[in-house]
Amino acid sequence: MSVIEKEQEVVENLVDLLSEEQVNTNNEDLYEASVDRYKKYAFARNALDVPQPVAIVYPNSSDEVSKLLQFCNEERINVIPRSGDTSTEGGLENWKDITVIIDAENLNRIVDIDTYNMQATVQAGVPLEELEDELREKGFTTGHSPQSKPVAKMGGLVATRSIGQLSTLYGGIEDMVIGLECVFPDGHISKIKNVPRRAGGPDIRHIAIGNEGTLCYITEVTVKIFKHYPENNKFYGYLTEDIETGIKVLREVMVNGYRPSVARAYSEEDAKQHFYHFSKDKCVLILMAEGPENIVEATGEAVEEAVDKFSDGIIEEVDSELIENWFNNLNWSQQDIEDEYEGMKENDSHAGFTTEISADWGTIPIIYNNVMERIKNEFPRAHELTLLGGHSSHSYINGTNLYFVYNYEINCAPEDELRVYHHPIHKIIVEETLKHGGSMCHHHGIGKYRSQWTKEEHGSAYYMLEKLKEVFDPNGIMNYGSIYPKEDGIKKYIKKEE
Amino acid sequence: MKKSLVYIDPENVQNSIEILEVVAQIHQEEDFKSYGALINNSTSIQGLHQFDYIINIQNQNLKNYDPVAVTDVMEQLNKKYNFDSIIIPATHFGRMLAPRLAMRLHVGLVADVTKINHNGENLELVRPAFSGRIMAGIITEARKPIMLSVRQNVFAYDVQADKEAEVIDYQPENFKQGEIELLNIQENNISYDIRESEILVSGGGGTLKNFDQIKLLADKLNAEVSASRKIIDNGKADRNIQVGQSGKTVSPDLYIALGISGAIEHVAGLKNIDNIIAVNINKSAPICSLSDIVVEGDALEFVKKLSDKIDENEDQKN
Amino acid sequence: MKIICLVKYVPNVEDIKYDYEENVLIRDNVKLILNPDDAAAVAYSLKAKEVNPDLSIEVLTMGPKSVRPFVEDLLRRNVNKATIISDPAFAGSDTYATSKILASYLKEKEYDCILTGSKSLDGDTAHVPAQLGELLSLNQMSNIISIDQDSFNEKSAIIEVESGDKTLTYRMSFPAILSFRKETGYELPYIKYENMSLDVSDKLNFISNEELQLDEDMIGLKGSLTRVANTYNKNFKEKNKIVVKNDDQGIDYVYSFLKKKGFV
Repeated sequence: MSVIEKEQEVVENLVDLLSEEQVNTNNEDLYEASVDRYKKYAFARNALDVPQPVAIVYPNSSDEVSKLLQFCNEERINVIPRSGDTSTEGGLENWKDITVIIDAENLNRIVDIDTYNMQATVQAGVPLEELEDELREKGFTTGHSPQSKPVAKMGGLVATRSIGQLSTLYGGIEDMVIGLECVFPDGHISKIKNVPRRAGGPDIRHIAIGNEGTLCYITEVTVKIFKHYPENNKFYGYLTEDIETGIKVLREVMVNGYRPSVARAYSEEDAKQHFYHFSKDKCVLILMAEGPENIVEATGEAVEEAVDKFSDGIIEEVDSELIENWFNNLNWSQQDIEDEYEGMKENDSHAGFTTEISADWGTIPIIYNNVMERIKNEFPRAHELTLLGGHSSHSYINGTNLYFVYNYEINCAPEDELRVYHHPIHKIIVEETLKHGGSMCHHHGIGKYRSQWTKEEHGSAYYMLEKLKEVFDPNGIMNYGSIYPKEDGIKKYIKKEE
Repeated sequence: MKKSLVYIDPENVQNSIEILEVVAQIHQEEDFKSYGALINNSTSIQGLHQFDYIINIQNQNLKNYDPVAVTDVMEQLNKKYNFDSIIIPATHFGRMLAPRLAMRLHVGLVADVTKINHNGENLELVRPAFSGRIMAGIITEARKPIMLSVRQNVFAYDVQADKEAEVIDYQPENFKQGEIELLNIQENNISYDIRESEILVSGGGGTLKNFDQIKLLADKLNAEVSASRKIIDNGKADRNIQVGQSGKTVSPDLYIALGISGAIEHVAGLKNIDNIIAVNINKSAPICSLSDIVVEGDALEFVKKLSDKIDENEDQKN
Repeated sequence: MKIICLVKYVPNVEDIKYDYEENVLIRDNVKLILNPDDAAAVAYSLKAKEVNPDLSIEVLTMGPKSVRPFVEDLLRRNVNKATIISDPAFAGSDTYATSKILASYLKEKEYDCILTGSKSLDGDTAHVPAQLGELLSLNQMSNIISIDQDSFNEKSAIIEVESGDKTLTYRMSFPAILSFRKETGYELPYIKYENMSLDVSDKLNFISNEELQLDEDMIGLKGSLTRVANTYNKNFKEKNKIVVKNDDQGIDYVYSFLKKKGFV
């Protein structure tokens, strides 16, 4: 059977399983579905090098998800689970000729908001913003606010171990999920119940959370909710001599036992692109205290004390209104995304490529400095970088994350952009991070473009990860190429050796 | 007696009159006479009585768009009169003529002068550099004549009453022709160039509902209209009037930013602007940090209110 | 047919910082970029070469040796030859001296036309193309926004020029100097992946004053007729912004501001 015949047969089968309306074969949509934001430049330039999926399907229930997965499992058809479509590391990119995208668009019901027990249950396709808006009306919040909030959906956020800009207070999504429902390739539906805590063996929620669609399909999640006190919000901004001063203040606040919601330290280059109107070419430190009044008071005092302690590196305080205004305009909208594509087309430049890592407090500055040094010395196109810097934006008691940010002018064909510019930089960041014991993937997931290093990331614990795949997805139909390294895919689509 | 020659741009005679202010500032208390060189444009003579002398050059073979030929003629004039200064308006043609002539006369040239300082003995000519980031004060080697081109619409000349220019007809000797032929002249769609505007009323996302309405205010202020990228992308205005990184860089004296938040891409197109008024519902929008006045409120409402206010005051005057 | 593209690598103005205490520009770590107007000239030449493969393009630039990787990238885009005029003795040259240095190289060369930009981002004087025209006895035209491809040959070209509110069409005889504006829409082509690190050193030529043999009174600071005596910064940040409401009082304030400044 030829590929085209096979494709037609698959589409017919999908229609039989669901209905005509639930199977989308619109060419434009399929083109869009063949990549995620990782290849945004090539996409904008119409220069994609990966196959299009055969269809995008929209199941209406967990049972339909189960039927779909069983069918694909029997037919050995690659499946890419999708909800929200904001991933950045190739997690939603397609590397197989025959692939079906299962999109959670129709799983769009807010099942229950229980303000007494402080939990909300939603289906996978509910947009985070929709849930957040509902909660806000009632005086609550999810506490989850990634930049992608207006576009991202709950299933995708849980499947990728998402994190939000307020994580230093509320935690990452893994701290918020109480229970969930997911479907495995053999069609089995598991429901993990919602309890405050239990000692019932290993915490199996974590098999689903962050699986990036490689083990199961998440259909429903229950998350914690929090009381929202926006009237108490306090904002703090400072210009600092260097990013290290910023990180030292963050550490001081954290280790003293305080939890600001926003805690960010920027290098001067990165600060300039967000805060040109006040950064004065210096590094920027931003903190925000939120929650009940007395906690905000105490957190604010702790911030001021920490800033005092490192006052040698602090240049000046920034008007808190400017920080508040920044906070209120943080997230992308669909329009911003479209503007971004237009800009890339117009200017042949790629703005805002990032690679995020994490490590303990002691290691972070070493990684930062080594990476900067190596990029400047080793990257053959360093003369075309228009920005190289970074920021820390999520802190923990034992360490923090680091976002490396780089923009460059593009002087090669759109389809070559990644291997000419991004990959060599990416490689340096990952290598330095792993060498010093940090994690190469703080919150964007491994996707496909960091799968080359999954084994190094996990070391001897990769054994556990590998066994999960063998047990839950023995036929390897779930999101080929994501997390688990696939030599042939890496050769063809990353190294382009064919 | 000092003598100063001004090249009169036949396309924009008014600009050349304003250069008389530059002549006055350069020579100050010294006794000086101003000469205006006018090529093939005798209909303009009567508007030029503010000069002491008009050198009227009429020659069918001399194309006033050919810098090679005009340089020859200017050199002849300099030989004849031995000028102390030669000043050329920084128009499209003036910016081609001035460097050529300076090289011919072996003198230094300062382009796009916006200010004149006398520091003791030294004449310091100030001009924008680095896309307007800084102003550079330039001193030239003491050779004669002093040569400069002058940025348009910067200097204002106080017209003197009862002034009459003496017209000197001049026939150039042989001059080289630059082998250039003008085939066509076409007026551009947008009849103005926002890079040259003195006042810009500029609309952004906050005016999307009714972008055309901002013209109301622009007309009252004798200003021109420009726009941010959001307006262009939405098809509300021609790309010619877009300010910013992917549009044009502008340097008006007054920039009124209506409903423009001031993303860095937009601000990249604002250079060397003395006065900025920002109207925005958000008084902490980035553009506000660059502004002299921030009006907190709806941009289109502001357009209406300020236009009414200007009308009111005009009426009172009449 | 042979074209010489005269280009300049300029500091990216956006990167330049200002030391407010010392009153100087800080140009350390400032990225160099190909002057946008000049890039349009090279882009047009490469486009013309696509139509006419016999066309030969030489890129000529003057500047520090550090422009080399940028120039190499032009060679990787199908430019035939590149010359970098570089000598510490040339440092500090103003446009007058620069034009003389460039002319001393160009007067020995054969070409049909010189394509370049109208002005540079840094100096922004637009002097060099016109002064070269004078020194080489060539006509020169600035602000070119397009060249009619069919008319472009060894003899002449039909060009469109933007002059304020008008677009002028000229026929110019060659040899001549044509100065582009970046708004042409001509864009540099991509470098092919396999050429990204191509060794192009055999097409790259460095010229110093050893070859040009210019008298030291003609070059550098000594050969310059203008010098920067002072810089004045226009500092946006020191503004004392006033926030008013969009009410009668606010409008009154704006109106009196406009009146005081002479805008109404």
